[in-house]
Amino acid sequence: MNYTLFTLSWFETILAGISVLAIYSFLYRENKFYRLFEHLFIGISTAIVTIEPIKTFFWQTTLKPLLGLDRLAFPDGTYVADYDFNYLLFLIPIFFGSLYYSILVPKYSWLAQITIGFLLGISGGMAFNATMVEVTPQIIDSFRPLYINLPEQSARENLINSLNNIFFLIVLFSTSCYFFFTFKRKPNGVVEKISTSGRWLMMGCFGAFFGTTIMARLALLIERLQFMVDHWWVAVMALF
Amino acid sequence: MNYGLKLDSRLIFLLVFIVVAIPLVYDSSIKPAKMETANVTYQELEKLAENQKNGKPALVLIAADLAPSTQSENEPQTSVLIEHLLRRRIPFGLISLIPFATPYLEQMPQEIVTKLAQETGETWEYGKDWVNFGYRPGSTIMIQKFAKSKDLHEFFKTDAQAIPMKKLEIMKGIKTIQDIPALIELTGTVGVFNVWLQFFRSDQHVPTLIHGCTAITIPEAYNYFITNQISGLLEGVAGAAWYEELLSEVYPARKPGHALKIMTALSIGNILIIVLIGIGNLQELWNYWKNKRTRNF
Repeated sequence: MNYTLFTLSWFETILAGISVLAIYSFLYRENKFYRLFEHLFIGISTAIVTIEPIKTFFWQTTLKPLLGLDRLAFPDGTYVADYDFNYLLFLIPIFFGSLYYSILVPKYSWLAQITIGFLLGISGGMAFNATMVEVTPQIIDSFRPLYINLPEQSARENLINSLNNIFFLIVLFSTSCYFFFTFKRKPNGVVEKISTSGRWLMMGCFGAFFGTTIMARLALLIERLQFMVDHWWVAVMALF
Repeated sequence: MNYGLKLDSRLIFLLVFIVVAIPLVYDSSIKPAKMETANVTYQELEKLAENQKNGKPALVLIAADLAPSTQSENEPQTSVLIEHLLRRRIPFGLISLIPFATPYLEQMPQEIVTKLAQETGETWEYGKDWVNFGYRPGSTIMIQKFAKSKDLHEFFKTDAQAIPMKKLEIMKGIKTIQDIPALIELTGTVGVFNVWLQFFRSDQHVPTLIHGCTAITIPEAYNYFITNQISGLLEGVAGAAWYEELLSEVYPARKPGHALKIMTALSIGNILIIVLIGIGNLQELWNYWKNKRTRNF
């Protein structure tokens, strides 16, 4: 990739590279260079998260039709269609949603509870539906045959799949046992021993999570290094 | 002799930095590990290409819910999947629930089309081969409205560049979710994949779901794969690297993408970390054994 000096893409690349160096300087020690860019990042992120929904959703689909700005106009200034007064109905949900901000005024903060209650009701209903859709197939899949003898599979494949399902059931049962607190467990009792094995199996799972987390973090570093090598360094060398 | 425990963490950072930088500077790569999930994903896209030949208008939806924090893994995944769709002439639409994804939705297909045009001499056109629906806020509510919409032209109104839906050739014949045979969802952000899985469906039609996850979310995503809730899975950058390998086998003139480079550096970095963990554990064992012996005397 080639960069022409003092063009927008050159400035973007140089600034991005400086930002990367500033953030990674924290690995050496806490410093003001890092803090400056951390605050810049927070400010820019907040601005994007605030502006994008307004620009792409609230303005386009709500405010523009409400104000009649989406109507096509003839050269003489008259409009192709009359203003649709049904758009004024938008004011009802806008007003209702705006009650959320009454939380900022102590005297009227109770009004926010109406909006919050409404949102909680909707969220609860949707979460119930969503959980059923997401978890039910996983519960159904847990009922697996312990002995598999499919004619289309070889004896080795049947054996491996059978062992896999047996192991799956052991893990499922022992891990569930760990979270079973309904009655008092006897020390060195059967349930206690099964739940201990469940804890060990979960430790193995957490180890896998830890390993994949390291992979993901390393990938982040490598991607930035790749940017520094392939782009930033080329942009810097364009100066000389 | 407690060298391991007294090691300055900055030295480890420097060591990791040097080790992972070597393959990047020397532009070297090693063959990635075979990923069965990536193979299945490849076959799913091939099936879509075969169904496309039947002539019924269809649009694959790519929910590119990536952000700078997941870009390193989700971006190579999105790139290889877009490349495959473009090569097989499967029309697709890009959408995102994440505001930070906006630049990726614009840049990625353009860059891939330029690369493919140089390689094949063929052309691909915006509005005919792909469309960018842009960032759409509203998460659950938006997805539900999308899935239940009787007229997607009315639902979207315009694309990200404010071009009306009826002016886009790709949208001809695309009316409801039933015209979307597959959803490719790429994210590493918690809770985003779940809402697509839970709500992007109607009573009559559930699109085939393919998921690209980051390494952190692999154990969670695998649950959905083994229960057939998703038909394809790309596991982090390793999945993208193997997918690149599959594409390179079928299209030998193809230039390697950056998933392979990232994977090479990642493999070397992982080896270093395993070695460091091994040294640390050996050091601990040595101290334990030494202290035990001293106590016995």
